Amino acid sequence: MTSYGDRRRERIDDLAAAASVDETPGVSLIASAWRRLRRDPIFLVGLAITVAFIILAVISPWIAPHDPASAPLLDKVRPQTNPVPGPEPGFPLGGDDRGRDLLSRLLVGSRQTLVVGVFATIFGLLGGMALGILAGSFGGAVDSIVMRIVDVMLSVPSLLLAFTIAALAARPGQTTLIIAIAIIQVPIFARLLRGSMLGQRASDHVLAARALGVKRRAIVFRHMLPNSMGPVIVQATLVLAIAIIDAAALSFLGLGSPDDRQPEWGQMLGRSQEFIYDHPHLAVYPALCIIVVALGFTLMGESMREALDPKTRR
Amino acid sequence: MSATMSLKDDATPSTGPLLSVEDLRVTFQRHGEKPFTAVDGVSFDVHPGQTVGLVGESGCGKSVTSLALMGLLPKRGNRVEGRATYEGTDLLSLSDKEMRDRRGRDIAMIFQDPLSSLNPVVSIGIQVTEVMERHQGMSRKDAMPRARDLLERVGIPDPNARLKNYPHQLSGGMRQRALIAMALACEPRLLIADEPTTALDVTIQAQILALLKELVQDTGTALIMITHDLGVVAGLCDEVNVLYAGRIVERGDRHRLFARPRHPYTHGLLSSIPRLDSPRGEKLTPITGSVSDNLPWTSACAFAPRCSHALDVCRQESPPWEWESDGRGLRCFNPVDPEEVRRG
Amino acid sequence: MADPRTSRTKAQAGDVLVDVRGLKVHFPIKRGVIFDRTVGHVYAVDGVDLQLRRGETYGLVGESGCGKSTLGRAILNLETPTEGTVLFDGEDIASLKGETLRRKRQHMQMVFQDPMSSLDPRQSVESLLVEGMRAHGLDTDKAATHARLRELLQAVGLPPAALQKYPHEFSGGQRQRIGIARALSVDPELIVADEPVSALDVSVQAQVLNLLEELQDEFGLTFLVVAHDLAVVRHISDRIGVMYLGGLVEESEAGELYDLPLHPYTRALMSAVPVPDPVLEDTREQILLTGDLPSPSRPPSGCRFHTRCPWRQPTRCDDERPQLRVVDVPGASEGHRVACHWVEAIASGDVDRHEVAAEYVGSGDATTPADDGSPFGPASVQEIG
Repeated sequence: MTSYGDRRRERIDDLAAAASVDETPGVSLIASAWRRLRRDPIFLVGLAITVAFIILAVISPWIAPHDPASAPLLDKVRPQTNPVPGPEPGFPLGGDDRGRDLLSRLLVGSRQTLVVGVFATIFGLLGGMALGILAGSFGGAVDSIVMRIVDVMLSVPSLLLAFTIAALAARPGQTTLIIAIAIIQVPIFARLLRGSMLGQRASDHVLAARALGVKRRAIVFRHMLPNSMGPVIVQATLVLAIAIIDAAALSFLGLGSPDDRQPEWGQMLGRSQEFIYDHPHLAVYPALCIIVVALGFTLMGESMREALDPKTRR
Repeated sequence: MSATMSLKDDATPSTGPLLSVEDLRVTFQRHGEKPFTAVDGVSFDVHPGQTVGLVGESGCGKSVTSLALMGLLPKRGNRVEGRATYEGTDLLSLSDKEMRDRRGRDIAMIFQDPLSSLNPVVSIGIQVTEVMERHQGMSRKDAMPRARDLLERVGIPDPNARLKNYPHQLSGGMRQRALIAMALACEPRLLIADEPTTALDVTIQAQILALLKELVQDTGTALIMITHDLGVVAGLCDEVNVLYAGRIVERGDRHRLFARPRHPYTHGLLSSIPRLDSPRGEKLTPITGSVSDNLPWTSACAFAPRCSHALDVCRQESPPWEWESDGRGLRCFNPVDPEEVRRG
Repeated sequence: MADPRTSRTKAQAGDVLVDVRGLKVHFPIKRGVIFDRTVGHVYAVDGVDLQLRRGETYGLVGESGCGKSTLGRAILNLETPTEGTVLFDGEDIASLKGETLRRKRQHMQMVFQDPMSSLDPRQSVESLLVEGMRAHGLDTDKAATHARLRELLQAVGLPPAALQKYPHEFSGGQRQRIGIARALSVDPELIVADEPVSALDVSVQAQVLNLLEELQDEFGLTFLVVAHDLAVVRHISDRIGVMYLGGLVEESEAGELYDLPLHPYTRALMSAVPVPDPVLEDTREQILLTGDLPSPSRPPSGCRFHTRCPWRQPTRCDDERPQLRVVDVPGASEGHRVACHWVEAIASGDVDRHEVAAEYVGSGDATTPADDGSPFGPASVQEIG
């Protein structure tokens, strides 16, 4: 296996182990992590960015000054002399090459980003959980087979895998984008959940439930799964950041929605290439948005991960 | 062995104390939480060649006491008050650097978990010689044969080969021996052993205790033995201090203390543990409740809620430290009657 | 719930409830890059015969790595036995699987060492206690269940208000009481208690030991108590089995084991236990064992104890594994069995104690043979016998 895959596996396993190491899992683990997080400035910055982004994405259609699909500046576009209209009253960032308001497109674009990120993560989480539960609760041959598949997926760089999936899809679009990104998240969640479930499986309270004669289904869903979810939730916030960047990357390369009436940051970035020398602001604004939002999720996720990891405590 | 013991008992009072701990108080204050006094005015003396036991259950402050003496408590989040006079210097007032120079040279410590006290990526030989290089300025070449002798001294088989081993290649008992060898490297005059045998099996524990006993007798090192096991104390310590909730509640020569425990806590502990030599079928007399029932020492006896001898005064006033006629110290308003002990 | 009770009254106290024959539990040591290969075994339990009589407390004592906990779990089929049978009330537990095994668990329960980790932190006490009853169809009637819960709490000395609380709200001793109540909730006949007091503070241990004794009288339980503390085991048990490296070396009535320990290992173990009596500590003779417990993945040939035995003889000890047998020693009763070739000669003083040179054993971790010297680790070690 490649060292790339190894490194990713190690990182996932560390997080899975972090949750099971704690002497009193569950209640106090989350509680003690939260106590540390509350005073962590990095976490608070990440949280602020994330919350601001989510609020913005939800209310953007109402606060956007113009319809992002309409072209009020169309008559200002001069393909030969001035293809991109500059700022003017009512249009603080100016327009794009089709005369649409840039600010409105950036604002509404956050929506697309959020939708793709959230749905890709949810589907990835569900898929990963299904595999993880399968491997973690049955163990043995089932575990071996599932985990070998997962390892192979992890050893392929995730963006490359997403390209392949998106390019193979019948027609590009938002759904394809979500599915492609969801699939690359599946092995991460699967390995993570399986790791922490195996930790739970070896734990005394699961053995106690077995000794009591509790049915396997109840042991898995009532004891193992709820106690394994901590690291999965942390990973989900990290994955959201990755999903947003990956979605932007795929759209940038034209594998996203071909319909440009629905603005999307990556797609806007991609379209700005033509004008990058004369009008770099067309690229800078969407790129900044992507960076800031991804940073917000990453700061939040990383500090949560650190708070959960006993090795970094105190 | 009993002959040497009694000889030493007579010899101890004539010399001045090697270490004198006076009114040691350690308060932990974590951000946003109530301050917690882990050690609450502990005083005791250690004479050269003497073995002093600190006994108590988890949370009684015995380990915090040792860490405070060694200057090993974390820098932040706690306050250490009182004095610990070692040959005229107050250990608690020393700077970090001065304390580092003394640790390992004058005072050495043996911990409960030998694996985490040893560096996993450095061989045993290097770890033992390092102490000598640091404190005695020996070269590694000179120190190595001495390290070999030390390993042999603490009963590690085939010491030449073991010098090259890493901690994980040794068994628990061997690791503890290696740790003792490191502690002995600079011939310290005071050894602090914090639950040195708790992680070990009973037959290995017996080996380690025999080794410690022998070392104290041969080298004249003083030993502070910290443990929860009254049996370990009975065989090893000259003087026993029983701690409860951060204070010493009873102190005495081991023979007197075990034969006639006066504090209800000591008495309760002794009658609640099953003994190998007691008649079978005898019901144990447990101490009721748990440490969560404790009262604050400032206005009461902390043990009062769990005490079978508690009077009203025990819940209203803090019992003072008093010396009994037989040289025993006691912190109790209503101690157990010696006659009752004999019957019980 | 009525069924086991009536059968219990009918059954003679003292007849055999659990009959263990030739039980072996070997854990494979696996190594491999893609496919795991078995490179050896940890012989955790290696041929144990054991009978538990109805209503008695059997103490299993030994040092870490001797296989006592594994044996306790294997009897409950929580570890699958590699070989051998475990007859519980005449039915072989060792061969049971799936649903039949799960149903059988109602009759045999376990109490764990660490009361915190063995209780799911997300479950309230009520949910903890009801879970087992539900799994065995004992919670049909709401009112009856509630009455039963109160009865359980009362039996272990906890207030009814405890039902709504969570494990972290209790002290260590109280948590252990909850663990015991959970084991009782399905009205079992056998309880295997694995180090039931070793995680508790000294002052609380007696509370739990006394509780176990009371419960035995009240519910007619059979106990298998697994512990490393000889004093605890001696106090609570009727009979004691001493284990060393996967096998029983001595079995006797509890009082007699202390008065007349016969196996060299038992004698050493007994003399190593510290007693809180300075006079006794100073005067008694200690048999200090040299060296460490050999790795259970490479047990010595012949008598497992021969590498450390101060009475080892040039013949038989090294190559012939002694069986547990009734011995011909004055004072030893019928039920006193010892696995030693020379026990009679040792007891009569015909065989003298001698010095033993300590052997280097390496760390107890079976998966990393320390002196192997091979960069590939155990994968390159030849199959172990």
